[in-house]
Amino acid sequence: MNRKSRIQLWAFIFLLLLLFFLSLNIGSYSISPINILKTLISAFFPSSLSLPTAYADILFRIRVPRLLLALLVGMSLSVSGASLQALFKNPLVNEFILGLSSGAAFGAALSIVFLGKSFPPQVAAFVFAVGAVLAVLLVAGRSDTHIVTLILTGVIVSSFFSALLSLLEFFASPYALQSLFFWLMGSLSMATWKDVIFSVPLMLTGVVIMLLLRWRLNILSMSDEQVKALGINVRMEKILVIAAATMATAAATSVAGIIGWVGLIVPHLVRMMVGADSRLVIPFSAVMGSIFILLADDLTRGLTSFEIPIGIFTSLIGIPLFVFLLKKSKKVWL
Amino acid sequence: MISLKKRHASLFLALFWMLMAGWAISIGSQEKPYFKIVDDLSRTVKIPRNTSRILSLQPEMTRIVFALGAGDQLVGLDYFIRRYDHLFPLISARHSNLPLVSISPESVNIELVLRLKPDVIFASPSEFQVPESIQAKTGIPVLALSSMGRFEKLIREIRLAGQVIGRKKRAEELISYFLEKTGFISSRISASKEEEKPRVYLSFWSSLSRPPVFYEPVNVAGGINVAEGLLPEYLGTLGTVVELEKIYEWDPDIILVQGNYPPGQRVVSVPLILSDRRLESLKAVRNKKVFYTFGFWYWWDPAEVLVETVYLAKLFYPQKFEDVDVEIEGNAIFNKFYGIKEGFTALCRILECREWLHE
Repeated sequence: MNRKSRIQLWAFIFLLLLLFFLSLNIGSYSISPINILKTLISAFFPSSLSLPTAYADILFRIRVPRLLLALLVGMSLSVSGASLQALFKNPLVNEFILGLSSGAAFGAALSIVFLGKSFPPQVAAFVFAVGAVLAVLLVAGRSDTHIVTLILTGVIVSSFFSALLSLLEFFASPYALQSLFFWLMGSLSMATWKDVIFSVPLMLTGVVIMLLLRWRLNILSMSDEQVKALGINVRMEKILVIAAATMATAAATSVAGIIGWVGLIVPHLVRMMVGADSRLVIPFSAVMGSIFILLADDLTRGLTSFEIPIGIFTSLIGIPLFVFLLKKSKKVWL
Repeated sequence: MISLKKRHASLFLALFWMLMAGWAISIGSQEKPYFKIVDDLSRTVKIPRNTSRILSLQPEMTRIVFALGAGDQLVGLDYFIRRYDHLFPLISARHSNLPLVSISPESVNIELVLRLKPDVIFASPSEFQVPESIQAKTGIPVLALSSMGRFEKLIREIRLAGQVIGRKKRAEELISYFLEKTGFISSRISASKEEEKPRVYLSFWSSLSRPPVFYEPVNVAGGINVAEGLLPEYLGTLGTVVELEKIYEWDPDIILVQGNYPPGQRVVSVPLILSDRRLESLKAVRNKKVFYTFGFWYWWDPAEVLVETVYLAKLFYPQKFEDVDVEIEGNAIFNKFYGIKEGFTALCRILECREWLHE
């Protein structure tokens, strides 16, 4: 990473932190920035300031867990998207390409419709998301290093889980369907510390692995023969990247539902900015993904008095932005 | 001679006119074999005058058919009433074995419908294309009617159902009873000032953050639904999604949870809200003013929503309704609508809303 890129990256990290603190001020319940600051201070020096208890509840039990999740979810989805695009040498690949979203949706549906509290939707979504990717690797078998085979197997497994989801929807009670429909739209509105504790370690582990593997992604984006000639075990490396991306995306999807387009749009924006070098694309995607989701979440919380699910917003903002930048750059980045 | 002829002629003329008038009267009084109704999808539907076989695919309408005393005329049941409705076995357990004609709102067994030969079919307007599609395939008139969560429309629905199945008198009797009860509540709370009215947040549809933007039982019982007007009325949407801190902004006096879900299927419950640490600074939570109410259950049950309004009035204004016993009143309402005794008590036991009962 050259000096210019390093400065750019730090500037974006600073922007992300700034946005995080600004986002603490956004919400239906009006708390002035001064009182936000006082509430933050009072967390460390409880008796120093007298503030309404609602401030602390809103800040520490509603806004902070939500923003932390938004930050990590954005990071996980965009880094996973960028890693898989490099791995599959295809810019149209997204983080859900290996059937992960269908698996997660089916898991959540199974929990909501039949299993209930014994198997919460978050856990079920994670288990089935990972299960769907494992099924892809299993079906692809020994040929799982072949990109086209993997993508096609992903499509097949995805279709299979979609069919199972439809079957569940068909037999579900109308009231279970309402819950499921809401989950499928993707939302951070009900984020709790429990969600943070459950998902953040998984998301962080996946993201850190992908960050550590960023230079290898450059090598893996060459032809398999070239990579083998360098003495690298292509199969193992690919499985490692897929496992890390699956862990991060499955954890993100299990707590936030299916938030589309992040893993496709953010890496494209990043590549337009810094080029196709994975050593830059991966860390920039991590920061930009977080910024993107934080902004989208701020809009869902700040624009209307009711809440539009974030999955709708990421598509509404992301797609026009993506089209605009693509037209402007007149380039196709691979 | 001439005068006799004239007399005969005028007699003949008078007879002729009498005959003509009689014929005209008989033509006029001869009714057409059908009448027309404009349903909730603005479709004009021709309904036969004599309807002895009825099929209802709309749970609210099925309940109204029973309330009108025409349960025996039903030839089949929809999936919701048959599989998910805990009210229906209370209304009429013996009709539970009627043929099941649908497995989802959109999936109706047309061949079975044809075999059952109903004279009229009631369907829900929320499944936009389904009524027209069934009518086109079967040639049987399909009326799309529902209350859509409005008392005015519920009353119209009862009236039209009475007209269609030939139970106008019973329909008017039920409507008068309904209006009398709601009128009684309104008269007791009419003196209440706006600032005295409790501000109420409703957690419906299995989610803490999904309130209805209009819920008439709350308004009639003298409460203020804090989410009312959050979406423009012309959208026709009943519910919306809000942020948790929006509830803090409203800081309601009372939180009502949709209690129509069987206890095992409740995603949101009163204990869950009272123990949710994110909500512990809310006035309603601090004061433990979190209760169940019935809420929608595929629109309404006319008896249940009336009891609910009485219950809410007593909950909001305990002193003004001190003399009202919700259990006695509830059982009387269920008896009036369905002719069943202790119906409300049985329903509360199923839903485990024992705080509404004496026990």
